[in-house]
Amino acid sequence: MLLVDIILPGLVLGGMYALIALGLTLQYGVARIMNLSYGESLVAAAFGAFSLYGGLGLSPLAALLLAVPVAMVLNWLLYRLLLERLMRRGKDRGAQEIDSILVTFGVLFVIQGAMLVAFGGQYYSYSYLSIPLTIMGSTLAVNRLVALLFAALVGGAVYLALTRTRIGTAVRAIAVDANAARLVGIDVAALSGLAFAFGGGLVAVGGVLISMFLTFNAAMGVVFTMKALVVIIMGGVGNVIGALVAGLLLGVVETAVARLVDPGLTLAATYALFLGVLVIKPTGLFGRAAS
Amino acid sequence: MLEVAALSHFYGKHQALADIALAIGQGEIVAILGANGAGKSTLLKSIAGLVKPAPGATIRFEGHHIGELPAHLIVERGIALVPEGRGVFGDLTVAENLQLGAYPARARAGEADRLARILRLFPRLAERMAQAVRTMSGGEQQMVAIGRALMSNPLLLLLDEPSLGLSPLLSREVFRALAEIRSSGLSVLLVEQNARASLDIADRVYLIESGRNAGSGPASAMKNDPEVQRAYLGKARAAPSPP
Repeated sequence: MLLVDIILPGLVLGGMYALIALGLTLQYGVARIMNLSYGESLVAAAFGAFSLYGGLGLSPLAALLLAVPVAMVLNWLLYRLLLERLMRRGKDRGAQEIDSILVTFGVLFVIQGAMLVAFGGQYYSYSYLSIPLTIMGSTLAVNRLVALLFAALVGGAVYLALTRTRIGTAVRAIAVDANAARLVGIDVAALSGLAFAFGGGLVAVGGVLISMFLTFNAAMGVVFTMKALVVIIMGGVGNVIGALVAGLLLGVVETAVARLVDPGLTLAATYALFLGVLVIKPTGLFGRAAS
Repeated sequence: MLEVAALSHFYGKHQALADIALAIGQGEIVAILGANGAGKSTLLKSIAGLVKPAPGATIRFEGHHIGELPAHLIVERGIALVPEGRGVFGDLTVAENLQLGAYPARARAGEADRLARILRLFPRLAERMAQAVRTMSGGEQQMVAIGRALMSNPLLLLLDEPSLGLSPLLSREVFRALAEIRSSGLSVLLVEQNARASLDIADRVYLIESGRNAGSGPASAMKNDPEVQRAYLGKARAAPSPP
C-alpha cells in the first residue's frame, strides 16, 4: 500500500531527525552554542558502532551503552574547556554566536580529518537485523523499526525529563532567559554544560541508530547538521515539542517526495518546506510570536 | 541584616554608583528614591550579584560578605530580586515559573505551603496556573515575578519598579500585596517611580542622586520634607491632589 510505504519509512527517518534535532535544541537553544561539528559527531558515532560490530561483534544497541557516555564526556569537556571561556569573553549574544561558530567549525575539521585518516572516504554499512518484515502490505527491515522504537523511547524520555522535572524545567528556563535563570538560583554555566553534554549524547544515539540502516562516509556529517538546523528552526528554536513534530514532518515529506517524485529532489523538498514554514510563521511552527 | 558600604560601579568609563552606603534591618521596608538614571537599578543588581561592584566595596548580609558571590548563590543566601521589566519566563507557564522560584535548596522545605500562601496573596494566579506568562497582562506578570521571588523563601526581597507600566488599580493591588508581605516579617528594599506610594509603605528612605547618597531618614519625616516633596512628589505648590 502506497500510503504505508511512505508513512512508515517516513516516520523512521523523521524519528532520527527529531532525535538529533532534540540534541541540537539542547546545545543551541539552551547552551547557546551553534555547533557546526554536530553532524560529524553523529558520523563518528556511526563509525564507532560499525567498528564495535565488525571488530568485536557487539550489537549496535549494546554499543549505545558505550557511545553515549563517551560522547557526553567529550562534549562536556569541549564545553567546559573551550566553549564556556569563549562565551564568557563574548560581549553580547552576536559575538558569542560568531565565536562558537568559528570554534565548532574547527572542531568539525578535526573530527572529519580523524575519520578520513581512520576510514578513508568510501561508504560503509553493515548488516544488522536486516530481516524484511511486511506490515500492511509494506516491507520494512527490522533494523529500521528497532531504530524508530529506540528513537521514540529516548525522545519520549528526554521530553518527559525536560517538561516534568524541576531540573528539566530549569534547563528550559535557561533557553527562555538566562539572566532571569540566575535570579532563581540556577547555576547557568554548570547546567548549560550539562545540557550541551546531553545534546552530544543524543546525537550519538542518532548516529548509532542511523548506522544500522543507512550507508555513511566520513564526509557526510554536514548534511545532518543542516537537517537538524532546519528542523529546530522550523519547530521554533528552544522548543522541545516543536523539534519533535518538525523532525517527524520532515522525514515523512522527504520520503513522500523521494517515493512519488524523484529521490534526487529530497533536499530541494526539505528547503521548500523550510522556506514555506518560515514565510508563513517566521518564528517556527511552535515558536512564539515576536514580542 | 544587609549592610552596604563604599559601593561603586562603572559601566565602562561612566560611573553609575559612587560610594553608596545603606543598611536594612530585619523586617524593614526601605525605599530608594532617585531620578531616572540615578543608579537605583544598578544598586539592586549589585546586591543581587548581577553586576560586579568595583573593588573596595562591602556588601554584608547576615554577617557574611556576599559581594564576590555569583547571582545564583546570593539567592541561596536569601536575597531575591524582582528585576525591572519583571524577568519572568514568558514561554513557561505560571506554575512552572513558581516552581522555578523554589529551585534554590533553601526553598525546598515548605514549598507547598509557600505556594498556597502566594496563591492566597494573588488569587488571579491560582486561576491561571497553566497559562503561558507572556500571554498575561503586565500586572499579572508582575504578580508572577513577585510570587516567583517569594517562592525562593527569601529573607530580603529586592523590588525594582514593581508598579512600572501598571494601571493605577493593579499598582494598588501590588502595593497591597507588599504590605501583606511585610507582615510576614520579610525585609524589603524597594525602588519605585511612584514615590508617594513607596513613602506610604516604607519605614525608611534613601535618596540617591547621580549614583551618590543624597540623604536618608524615616519615611514619615521625608514625606513632609519640602525638598523631597518638590523633587519626588511633584508638589511645586501645595496643589490639591486630584481624587
